[in-house]
Amino acid sequence: MATPSATLPRAAAPREIPHDVSPGLWTLAWRRLSADRVGMVSLAIVVAFVVLMILSGTGLVAKDWAREVGVNYAPPSFVGADVEAGAPAAPAAPAASVSAGDWQSSIVDPLADVIAELKGTKRAAAPGAAPAEGGSVDPLADVMADIRAGKAAETAAPATADVRSATLPFGGDKWGRDVVAKTIKGSETSIFVGIAAALVATALGTLFGAVAGYYGRWVDDAFNWFYSVFNSIPYLLLILAFAAVLQQKGMLTIILILGLTGWTGVFRLIRAEYLKHKSREYVQAADAIGASNARRMFVHIFPNVSHVVLVQLSILVVGFIKAEVILSFLGFGVPVDVVSWGSMLNEAQNELILGKWWQLVAATVAMATLVTAFSLFTDALRDALDPKLKGLKGH
Amino acid sequence: MQRDSAPAGGEPLIQVRDLRISFRLGGDATFDAVKGVSFDIPNDSTVALVGESGSGKSVTALAILGLLPPENSIVDPRSRILYGGRNLVGLSGRAMRDLRGADISMIFQEPMTSLNPVFPVGYQLCEVLKLHRGLGQRAARKRAVELLDEVGIPEPQRRIDAYPSQLSGGQQQRVMIAMAIACEPKLLIADEPTTALDVTIQKQILDLVAELQKRHRMSVLFITHDLAVVGEIADRVVVMREGEIREQGSAKEVFESPRDSYTKALLQCRPALDRRPMRLPVIDDYMGDGRGPRHLDERPRGISPSDPVILDVRKLGKSFHVREGIIGRREFKAVSDVSFALRRGKTLGLVGESGSGKTTVGLTLMRLHEATTGEALFDGRDILSMSEREFMPYKRRIQIIFQNPYASLNPRFTVGQILTEPMLIHGIGDGARQRTDMVFELLGKVGLPDASFYKYPHEFSGGQRQRIAIARCLTLRPDILICDESVSALDVSVQAQVLNLLQDLQDEFRLSYLFISHDLAVVKYISDEVMVMNEGKVVEIADADTIYRHPREPYTQRLLSAIPKGWRGARAGA
Amino acid sequence: MTAYIIRRLWQMVPTLAGVVLLVFFLFNWIGGDPAYVLAGKISNQEQIDNIRRQLGVDQPYWVQLWIFVKQILSGDFGASWSTNERISSIILTRLPPSLTVLVPLLILETLIAIGLALAVAYVRGSLTDRMVMILCTIGLSISILVYIIVFQYVFAYKLGWFPVQGWGDSFAENLFRYASLPILIGLAVSIAPNLRLFRTFVLDEINQDYVRTARAKGLSENRIMWVHVLRNASIPIITYVMAALPALLIGAFLIERFFSIPGIGREVILAVERSDFPVIKAITVYVAVATMVFNLLADLMYKAVDPRVQLR
Repeated sequence: MATPSATLPRAAAPREIPHDVSPGLWTLAWRRLSADRVGMVSLAIVVAFVVLMILSGTGLVAKDWAREVGVNYAPPSFVGADVEAGAPAAPAAPAASVSAGDWQSSIVDPLADVIAELKGTKRAAAPGAAPAEGGSVDPLADVMADIRAGKAAETAAPATADVRSATLPFGGDKWGRDVVAKTIKGSETSIFVGIAAALVATALGTLFGAVAGYYGRWVDDAFNWFYSVFNSIPYLLLILAFAAVLQQKGMLTIILILGLTGWTGVFRLIRAEYLKHKSREYVQAADAIGASNARRMFVHIFPNVSHVVLVQLSILVVGFIKAEVILSFLGFGVPVDVVSWGSMLNEAQNELILGKWWQLVAATVAMATLVTAFSLFTDALRDALDPKLKGLKGH
Repeated sequence: MQRDSAPAGGEPLIQVRDLRISFRLGGDATFDAVKGVSFDIPNDSTVALVGESGSGKSVTALAILGLLPPENSIVDPRSRILYGGRNLVGLSGRAMRDLRGADISMIFQEPMTSLNPVFPVGYQLCEVLKLHRGLGQRAARKRAVELLDEVGIPEPQRRIDAYPSQLSGGQQQRVMIAMAIACEPKLLIADEPTTALDVTIQKQILDLVAELQKRHRMSVLFITHDLAVVGEIADRVVVMREGEIREQGSAKEVFESPRDSYTKALLQCRPALDRRPMRLPVIDDYMGDGRGPRHLDERPRGISPSDPVILDVRKLGKSFHVREGIIGRREFKAVSDVSFALRRGKTLGLVGESGSGKTTVGLTLMRLHEATTGEALFDGRDILSMSEREFMPYKRRIQIIFQNPYASLNPRFTVGQILTEPMLIHGIGDGARQRTDMVFELLGKVGLPDASFYKYPHEFSGGQRQRIAIARCLTLRPDILICDESVSALDVSVQAQVLNLLQDLQDEFRLSYLFISHDLAVVKYISDEVMVMNEGKVVEIADADTIYRHPREPYTQRLLSAIPKGWRGARAGA
Repeated sequence: MTAYIIRRLWQMVPTLAGVVLLVFFLFNWIGGDPAYVLAGKISNQEQIDNIRRQLGVDQPYWVQLWIFVKQILSGDFGASWSTNERISSIILTRLPPSLTVLVPLLILETLIAIGLALAVAYVRGSLTDRMVMILCTIGLSISILVYIIVFQYVFAYKLGWFPVQGWGDSFAENLFRYASLPILIGLAVSIAPNLRLFRTFVLDEINQDYVRTARAKGLSENRIMWVHVLRNASIPIITYVMAALPALLIGAFLIERFFSIPGIGREVILAVERSDFPVIKAITVYVAVATMVFNLLADLMYKAVDPRVQLR
C-alpha cells in the first residue's frame, strides 16, 4: 500500500497495541475495484494488450510480420480461398512500390485511388451521372489502371506463389502479409504512442496545474494565460499545425505533438482541484502547524488529487490512441515503414472497395476491444477512487 | 374536493404503525434506518420528531410522503401509514401525487437549494396552485401574491417575480412555506426548517409556523435535532435514536418528567443559559451504568484586571476586493476596527451571525489570511507584521481547531502521521521513539484508544475526529487555541463531551481560547468574556454573565431574545 | 453588462498576442526556411525567393514577427504558397460548405442527445440505462475513420442511396444531396459522447433538492423532467455547445476530406500536406479569435439562462 511520505515511526512501538495498520484509501479503492467485475475484465484485457505490446516490441511476437506468407489479399481461412481467382494476382513488384511510394508523398491525396476506383465504377454504371466536383486531379488513376490490368492478367505474376498459402487464418493484406501479425505489430505503435504521450501530457498538466492552483495570484495568471492561448486554438487544429511544421516523422515526433498539445484538460482539472484543496481545512491546518509550501503541495494535497491525475491519464491514453490512428491514417503520423492501426485503416479503406474487408475488421476489432476495455476500466477506476460518484454513473 | 375525504374529529390525522425502512448499501448489504416505528399525528396539533444524526427521523418523514429514493430504499410492505382510512405505504404514484402538496406538504432544511434556481418564485408558487386547485394563470397569480403576503414577504407584488437567489435565506424559507400551505394541507412536514438559518431568522420562522398552524388548523410534524427549538411550539414530542423511538408523549411529560435515560441526557447535555455546571452532563452519565451526572456545581467565570493579557489585538481590519466595472475594484470590509484582549487561561467567546466576520478574525490572527490593518501583540510583539521566518516560533503557540471534523484531517494520513508531523516540523521531541510516546500520551489525554495510531481518519466518527484535531494542536504545546465553530457540526450529546474535553485541557494547561461560534448557549457556557460581532464590527464586549443578564446594545438584546428557550413551562420552574 | 463585455474584450488582447506568438514560434522558428520546407514541393526557384522576401527570412526574428503582426492587423495573409489563391478568398469560399454540413449536424445532434439523455437519465440505474451506456462506450471506441469508411462504402457505394462524394453550386442540392450522408455519419459519431456528457448534466440536476421539492408539490415525473430538470440542465448544455462551435469547424475535417466537401477542415489537411504555411497560420489565428468570441458569447448566454449568474 502507498504510504504517504510523512515518516511513520514504525520502529517505535513501545506499547502492547494491535499492530496492523488500517487499510488506506488506496487499498480500499483497490478492494472496490476488484469487486467490480466489468472493471476487472477490462483491466485484464488492457493488461493483455500491454503485454502483447511489450512482447512485440522485444521481438518475441510478430517479429516476422513483414514476411509475405500468403498470396496477395489471402482471404481468411474460414471464408475460403478466393473463388473468383483461385489466387489473386500479386501486384507486380514495381506497381507495389509505386503505390507505397505514392501515399508516402504528402502532396498526393491518399484517397485518390479510391476516388479513381469509385469514379471508374460510377462511369461504367451510370455514364450520365453528374461528374463529382472538387476532387483533386487524380494522379493515381494510371496506377490503379495498372493494378486492374495486373488483376485481369492474373497469371502475369508467378513470383513466389508456390510457398505462399492460399488462405491465412484471418486473411492477408495486399502483399500477402498475415493481418494478425500486422495488427499485433500495429498495436505496438498505437499503444506505445498513446501511453507515452499521455504520460507527457499528464505530467505537464499536473505540474502546471499544481503550481498555478496552489500559488494563485500572478503565477496563476501566467499559467492561465498560457492555458487560454493553447485552449483558444481547437485541439485538432493545434495538432495539425504542429504536424505541419515538424517535418521529421517518427514516433517521437507524434508523442511530442500529442503530449505538448494535450496537457490543457489535465491542467484545468488539477488547477481547480488545487484551488479547492488549498482552502480546505486540512491544508489550512497544515499551514497552522508550520508545514512549508512544498510540503503542503506535494505531501498533503497531491495524494488527495492523485486519483484525478490517474483518471485523466487513463482518459488521455484512450484519446491519444484514437488521435494517433487518425494522424497515421492521414500520413502525418508514424513513418511508412512502421505499421500502426492508422496506416492499416488507410490500406483497408482501398481494399474494402475490392471486397477485401479483413484488414479493416482486424484493425477495427483490435482497436475497439482495447479502447472499450480501457474506457470501461476508466469508469470503474473513477467509481473505485471516488465512491461518492457511484450511483451517478451507470455501472 | 380532497378535504371531504379527510378523517373526522377524534381519530388521529396520521397513524404510523410499525414502520420499517432499510437502505441497500451495494452488494447484498442493507442498513436498517427505521426499525419498527409507531406514532400518531393528531388533528390540529404540532408533533415534534426529535433525534440526532442517524436517528431515522428524516427518513420517517420522507416515507410519509413517499419521497424516499426508489433506487436504494426499501419500505417494509407490512408497514402502515394510515391517512383518511388509506395506507400510504404502497399507494400508487398517481394517488400519492394527488396527496402531495395538497393534503400533505413539506418544507426542507436548505431553502436555497430546495427552490428551483431558474424559475421566479411566483412561477413555482403558481405551479402548485394550478396543479391542485385548477386555477388559471390570473387567479393563481392573485392567490400567490396573497400567500406571499401571508407568510410575511414584504412587497409581494414585486417579489413574486424575483428569483430565489435574489431573496435572503429567511425569505426563501418563507416562500417554501407559502408553497406548502398554498392548498390548505391537513399536514405540514417541516424537516429541520430552521437549522440552516441564523438564530434571529430561526425565531421568526418558528413563530410563523406556529401562527400558521393555529390559523389554518392544520397539523405540523416538526423534525429537529434540537429539543430546545420545539419546546415552545410542540404539543407532542417523539424522541428517536438509531431508528427506534425512545420515548413519546405530550410535550409537558417529555420535557418535565422524561422517563427514558436518552431523553434525559438530550435535555441535560445542551448547555443552558441560566446554569453553568463544572462539567456538562454527557450521555454516558445516563446510559449504561447510569451513575447520573456529576460535578454539577456552578463554575465561576469572568475575568479580573489582574489576569495577564497574552494576545492584544488592536484595530484589526481585513478587506477583500471584488471586481466591478471595467477596471474598477470594490473594497469589501469583512472585518474592521476590531480590538480585544485575550487573557491567559481564559476564554473569549466570539459570537455573531453568518457574515459577521467572526471566522475572518480567527483566520487573520493565524495569518491564514493577511490582515489589511491593525496589529496583534503576542507577548508584546506584533505577529501580523513579522516575516514568515520570525513568525515560525509563534506559529507553534497559536493553533486552530476548525468546524468541519471531516475536512480538517488529511484523509491520506494515519492518525499517527497526523500527530507526529507537527513535532517533526518544529523539531519537538528527540527522535521517533520519544515523539511516538508523546503521541500515545496525547491520545490518552483526548480520550482515544492507542490503536487509533495506525488508523485513518475515515474510520472515526465526527466527535472522535475533533478529538484528533485537538490532539494535533496539543502536540505543539500552544498557548492559544482558536476554536472556529469547533463543536457546531457535532450532535448535542457529542458536543457536550468535546466541550468538557476543552474545559479539562484549559484547566490542565492554562490554555487561552478564542471560541468562535454562532451558538449563544455554547458560548455562554465556555466563555469568561464574550464579544458580539455584526457586519465586521464589534457590537459589544463584556463579561460573559454581564452580557447575558444585562445586554447593552439593541443588537445583542435581539440576538439573546431569539435563543430558543426550551420548554415553556421549564423557565418558570427554574 | 457593457462594462463586463468591454473588460472581456480587453482581456482577449494578451491571449490573442499569445496565439500570435505561438503561431509565429511554430511556423517561423521551428518551421524554418520556406526554401527548405518547400524543397521538392515547389520547384520554381523564383517563387520561393519571392516567398522568402515576403517573410523577411533573412532579417532578424523581430522584423519577421512585425511582418506577421502587420498581416494579422490588416487581415491580409497574402496568398497560398501552392495555389497562389488569396487566403482571404480561400477562407470565404471554404466557410459556406463547412457550415452547410455543420449547422444542421450541430442542431440535430444536440436535440437528439438531449432527448436521449433525459430518457436515459429517467431510467437511471436500470438495465436499459446500463446497456445504452455500454453501447455508447463501444460506439466511442471505434475510430471515426471506420464509421466514415463503412458508411460511405455501404450507403453510397454499395446501396447507392447517397452520392459517394461531391459538391454542387446550389445550397439546396448541397444540403439535401451531398451533405446528408456526411451529416448522418456526423450524428453516428457524435451522439454517443454527447449523450454520455448530457446524461451526467441531467443526473447532476436530478439529485438536487429542488427536484425533491417538486415531487413534494405533487408534480408528475414528466413535468419534473421536462420543465424543472431540463431547464437547469440546459445551462451547462448550452455553454458546452457554444464553446464547442469553433472546434467543430475543424473537427469535421475527416468527413469533408472523404466526401470532397470543399470546406475549412479539408483545406487545413491539404495545407498541412503541402506545407502551405500561410493558410494554416491564417486559419489558426481566425479560429482562435472565433473561439474567444464564442467563449464570451457562451458566458453571456450563461447569464441569460441562469438568473444566479452575476457578470462582473
